[in-house]
Amino acid sequence: MQAVLRIEDLRKSYRTGWRKPRRSALNGLSLEVPRGSIMGLLGPNGAGKTTTLKAVMGLIRPDSGNIWVFGIDGITAEARGKIGFLPEQPYFDLYLTPRRLLGYYGRLAGLNSSQIQSKISHLLSLVDLGEVADLSMERYSKGMLQRIGLAQALISEPEFLVLDEPSSGLDPLGKEQVRDLLEELKRGGKTILLSSHQLSDIEEVCDGVAIINQGLNVASGSLDELLRSRDEYEITLERPLSRLKGKLPPSASWVDGQKKTMILSKKEVNAALKVLLEEGAEIGEVRQRRMTLEEFFFSRVGKGGGEGGR
Amino acid sequence: MRAVFTFSWSVVLDALHRKMFYVILALTVILILLIPLLPSAEVGVQLGLMREAALGLTSIMAFLLAVILGSTIIPGEIGRRTIYNTLSKPVSRWEYYLGKFLGVMVVLAITLLLTLAILLLFIAAKFGLFNPGLAKALFTIFLEAAVLASAAMVISVYLSPLVCVFLTGLFYVVCHVKGDFLYRAMTGSGNSPLLRGLAGISYYLLPNLERLNINETIAHGESAFKVGAMELVLLTGLALAFTAVMLYIGGFIFNRRDL
Repeated sequence: MQAVLRIEDLRKSYRTGWRKPRRSALNGLSLEVPRGSIMGLLGPNGAGKTTTLKAVMGLIRPDSGNIWVFGIDGITAEARGKIGFLPEQPYFDLYLTPRRLLGYYGRLAGLNSSQIQSKISHLLSLVDLGEVADLSMERYSKGMLQRIGLAQALISEPEFLVLDEPSSGLDPLGKEQVRDLLEELKRGGKTILLSSHQLSDIEEVCDGVAIINQGLNVASGSLDELLRSRDEYEITLERPLSRLKGKLPPSASWVDGQKKTMILSKKEVNAALKVLLEEGAEIGEVRQRRMTLEEFFFSRVGKGGGEGGR
Repeated sequence: MRAVFTFSWSVVLDALHRKMFYVILALTVILILLIPLLPSAEVGVQLGLMREAALGLTSIMAFLLAVILGSTIIPGEIGRRTIYNTLSKPVSRWEYYLGKFLGVMVVLAITLLLTLAILLLFIAAKFGLFNPGLAKALFTIFLEAAVLASAAMVISVYLSPLVCVFLTGLFYVVCHVKGDFLYRAMTGSGNSPLLRGLAGISYYLLPNLERLNINETIAHGESAFKVGAMELVLLTGLALAFTAVMLYIGGFIFNRRDL
């Protein structure tokens, strides 16, 4: 599948003060976002997620490396016309109304007046702000501003969306709405790259993830591919068995209080099955173990990860 | 070009939502209306004094607006992070930079036209005189404001608004006194070679803003010499040339700035 975004060996460092050493934010990051997918960018604080997204949007200049968007090297104004961007905690001139704000961004996106009017109506109803479209945003909640941020990212009907923490500051209902919106956009053929701290959000909506730590992509791929453990298997019994003490292979351990499901290393599966069958167990399922995204994340980043970049 | 106009208009809207704009404009108008109350305005030189003081106040107002708007327009957007939404659209940073500058100039033009209208009405009411010559002085004030705003915007690309206001103020002072002061510093045999070198560089690189100051001539009815069309074209050329250089430098730096 052709990649909408391809990043190769991206490096970026920042000056941290007068005569102080430069601090690396990206240390040779490479990444691909396949067309039509939702790719989640995960990483601890300071891992380089926002720096990556800013580089993709041309808001910062990388020290070295390449970025291809739709197969074209470099970020041009033309390329940005096909990308919608939602920055982390988007800010707006609050004296404006959503309608005027979207009109402003529509003009910048090169739309004509009639296109702008029809897009505004459509987007305001999409983000559920149609009824307050003519009120100034001074009294808007954080969630409403986030939704306006999403609407402005969609004003040019972009093929590719880059979203930095789209659920940030939203209540559970707002998060649900964003998730639904992302799924709707994906069904509409959009490609989405989103960064988030919310592992559950990523697991629910993303097809793939890239985990960034200290400016490097430490793991990326489809969720199925990544979360399926290569070394561990899971055996589930139909009914719990209590008389197995000391008979199971050393790597086997129960993962539930009922003693119905155990995980064990791949090489000891046969030995465990033999014991179980001898003891009269009824095997429900034997499968490669699937980790949770949280487990996988910590296995790659470690509990002390983070603050390695910016 | 459409993006440039959109950015310009956004500056006008932004300025119209700032209290600072109205405070400076109102203060200028009130002070102009109070000029006749000055004691020395009663000794037969009212018109000349009135015009000189009013043009002086207008110059200060234009200076303040140019410096404040020029120093805050880009850092403000960076600080509020609204620039991320804006520059992620299919626009170039050059369009953004030029649009913001032109927006500042539109605000200044609107303000100066308003002031001119008030001045003309006031002089007509007070002295029964229509004085369109004042427009020439306000035009050169506008030109000077263009130079100042472009300089402020260059400085504001990397420095904080406060530092920018201070440096632009310094730039204004140096550019007004350079004709005399810098020339003497450059040619003074008692000065160190370093000082002479720095003074020489500043003398040739900085614009002589005093050339754009025709307030006194206009205030006294152009009795000493007439400010003709040729003189205005020359002054426009001088201001435009310097402003263009500043815009190019500012745009070039801004284009490379990480946001």
